[in-house]
Amino acid sequence: MRSDERDVDVPPLTEGIAPGTATDPAVGSDGPATVTVDGTAVSLESGATLLDAVEAVETDEHVAALCHYGREGIGPRSECRTCMVATDEHGVVPACSFPAEDGLTVRTGATDAAEARDVNLDLVLSDHNLRCTTCGKNGRCELQDAAIEAGVEEPRYGVFDDRDEYEPLDDTSPFIAIDRNKCILCNRCVEACNDVQVEGVLRMEGSGSDTRIGFQSDAETMADSTCVSCGHCATVCPTGALVEDGIVDATTIPLPGFTQANSVGETSERAGERSGPMTPKKRAEPTSGGDGKAGDAAGNASEDGSDADGAPDVNGTPGAGVWDDGGDWP
Amino acid sequence: MTLTSTAGDPVVRVSGTAQGAELRGSDADATVLAVGSTGVPAVEPLLSVTRRGRTGFHARCPPERAKTIVSTVAEAGDVTTADPDAVVEHDPDATRLPVPELPGFGVGNRSVLAACGWRRPTNPADHEAAGGFGNPDPAAVLDAGTRLRGRGWGDRCQDAFLAETWGTVRDGDGDAAVVVNGHGNPADALLLAGAPFEVLDGATALARAVDAERLVVYASAADERAVETAREAATTYPDPPAPIDVVAGPPEYRAAEPTMALEAIEGNHRLEARLRPPGPEEVGLHGRPTLVHTSRTLAQLAIALRDGREPETRVVTVTGDVAAPATVELRESDSLADAVDAVEVEGTVKAACVGGRFGGLTRDLDVGVDPEALSAANLGTDGTVHVLAEDSCVVEFVGRRARFAAEGNCGRCVPCREGTTQLTALLRAVYDGEYDADGIEELGRVMATSSLCSFGVRAGRPARTALAAFESEFAAHADGRCPAGQCVEPAEVT
Repeated sequence: MRSDERDVDVPPLTEGIAPGTATDPAVGSDGPATVTVDGTAVSLESGATLLDAVEAVETDEHVAALCHYGREGIGPRSECRTCMVATDEHGVVPACSFPAEDGLTVRTGATDAAEARDVNLDLVLSDHNLRCTTCGKNGRCELQDAAIEAGVEEPRYGVFDDRDEYEPLDDTSPFIAIDRNKCILCNRCVEACNDVQVEGVLRMEGSGSDTRIGFQSDAETMADSTCVSCGHCATVCPTGALVEDGIVDATTIPLPGFTQANSVGETSERAGERSGPMTPKKRAEPTSGGDGKAGDAAGNASEDGSDADGAPDVNGTPGAGVWDDGGDWP
Repeated sequence: MTLTSTAGDPVVRVSGTAQGAELRGSDADATVLAVGSTGVPAVEPLLSVTRRGRTGFHARCPPERAKTIVSTVAEAGDVTTADPDAVVEHDPDATRLPVPELPGFGVGNRSVLAACGWRRPTNPADHEAAGGFGNPDPAAVLDAGTRLRGRGWGDRCQDAFLAETWGTVRDGDGDAAVVVNGHGNPADALLLAGAPFEVLDGATALARAVDAERLVVYASAADERAVETAREAATTYPDPPAPIDVVAGPPEYRAAEPTMALEAIEGNHRLEARLRPPGPEEVGLHGRPTLVHTSRTLAQLAIALRDGREPETRVVTVTGDVAAPATVELRESDSLADAVDAVEVEGTVKAACVGGRFGGLTRDLDVGVDPEALSAANLGTDGTVHVLAEDSCVVEFVGRRARFAAEGNCGRCVPCREGTTQLTALLRAVYDGEYDADGIEELGRVMATSSLCSFGVRAGRPARTALAAFESEFAAHADGRCPAGQCVEPAEVT
């Protein structure tokens, strides 16, 4: 009885992965469907959600769908609930995860749906560090975009701004910085790490207001985790919670002496020698630069710099690469 | 051995204590049976002695006295000679508790609870003598589902008629599963511990009707007796249609939510609600179409199938400012006041929180216990009534419930995780003079419309209903006064 419950499609690599999240059913419609969004009929393919329909037309009101990613099989997590829309048939539902059943009538401007989107976005902001000017994602942050689009000027529940309650920044990894005070728990990084990269590093842990992104190895910091520095978590992160280390302050407004790190309290710094922001093998490339594959191979970096493409060991040639920033390589 | 000795020897039953089991066979003159709780712990240990269709009840009686009582009865030939607290005449072969005139037994009509306190929980002969282990026709089962509604927040079909969901499971892809959810409500645990065969009768009948290949009984690890008794009953249940597994889940309140129950059964180390639709009836336990029903729902089904009619009763647990909580079974035409009559309230009743941890607050107890009446009064149908006496503070009570919600949620969705945190803050702000009724109302409304599971949907209900029924108390707190005199002075808060 047990044996037939195993999903034969699951690669063995995932067996030991424990992301701490529920086993969600697949969402989306069973077959092709036509739904009406704010008076416009939209035809959709099998497997579509109401958000696919909403995104296909000019809607009466903006539907943020903040935690939605919609690529690489990541999500929908349907966590933030800023995509609520009204349907005549099922009442107010989350567009990102509700199947586009044939014949549904969707209204984005319905009062209860608009209120739910508005309140939920403010609830997201209530637990978010809103110091955008010291954030490396300033200007390319999906929460910022959603808040601007929704015209949020003063979130009704305020923002997370209590120095005593800030989680320490995790700056221990040479490649990825974690600031949980900006995390909206959208779960994209966990899915990118476990389902796409199959690395099994990140997990969701805790409950209630203690819910946070942690490590499956029970490590306290990124440096102590089993992270291979592939960077996918930072790639999919909608806010400044996970940022590539080299660009943590890429878009901050230069205020002398004021950074995210010193404004929120404690930071877990990396121990020992400081590493550069990029993997060793990148430095073995010719000095001409412009390597079109620069980002692709980063996932293998932590193992051994000499094994990629037969490139020579870089340790003996500091300063030769285009990525050189004067740091000490591992 | 038959259930009741028709010979001269008295039969003694000890209810509500594990010690009864040890007394068995300790006295050659009497048959001592360890039975489950009656649901009224105030009278337990309840010792009953039965002889020739007459039972004397001894409330709060130490099991050690069984021997003395038995010899007294045997000597005089009459159960009244042992000075019982109540005596009931009944059919000599009674298979259901002859309801004594004792506190907690004065109301309702025990049918689902009939076995509790009378039959040995895991003794197949007792259950068979009561007409159990029937093998009802699947068509009759599905038919019963058109008239029976789910009971309890752990039931996937709470308040909904069951047949439609059953049809979905029967017609779904893959081998179906039936989950008995005994977690999260005292009555559900009581039934597993006191009348597990009734619950399993309903579960097996349902499993046959939907052709289920798995049957799982799920209960809180904190309810040890429920888990142990269910485990024993599962092994002695004759010819089940599918293997019966018994799984103990974590004791957290949220673990009773149907999809979190599935997560716990599947062994996830972290409890989190699952996204829906599709619900468990389409993709449930290990991806199978799965029915999740509470002990109460399934026991009601079993009784309905046996009696050939719907048991129009509701099992309700009364707790709060009472001398001892009690679980009673009421007719649907009975009211909340009838339920409260079953217990000894400490003082006068000021309010009640009706329908689970996140029930609604009401001053008015003249509300029927059927789901329509309760819903119309903005109250919950989970089957609990938490009594608040006159010296209890409603503002403090709903504040505690909100804080519990903020601490006990799974952390998945924003309206619940962040909403309960903000709700707690809004309620705390009342003490600082910031009474934002509209804000609390708005937040509660959004939590109800957009939370992922019923934990978040209901988490704001105590506060919202209290605002409506006790507005003056909130206003008084904002002015720095607690009418009940329970809250600390505002000066101490700030």
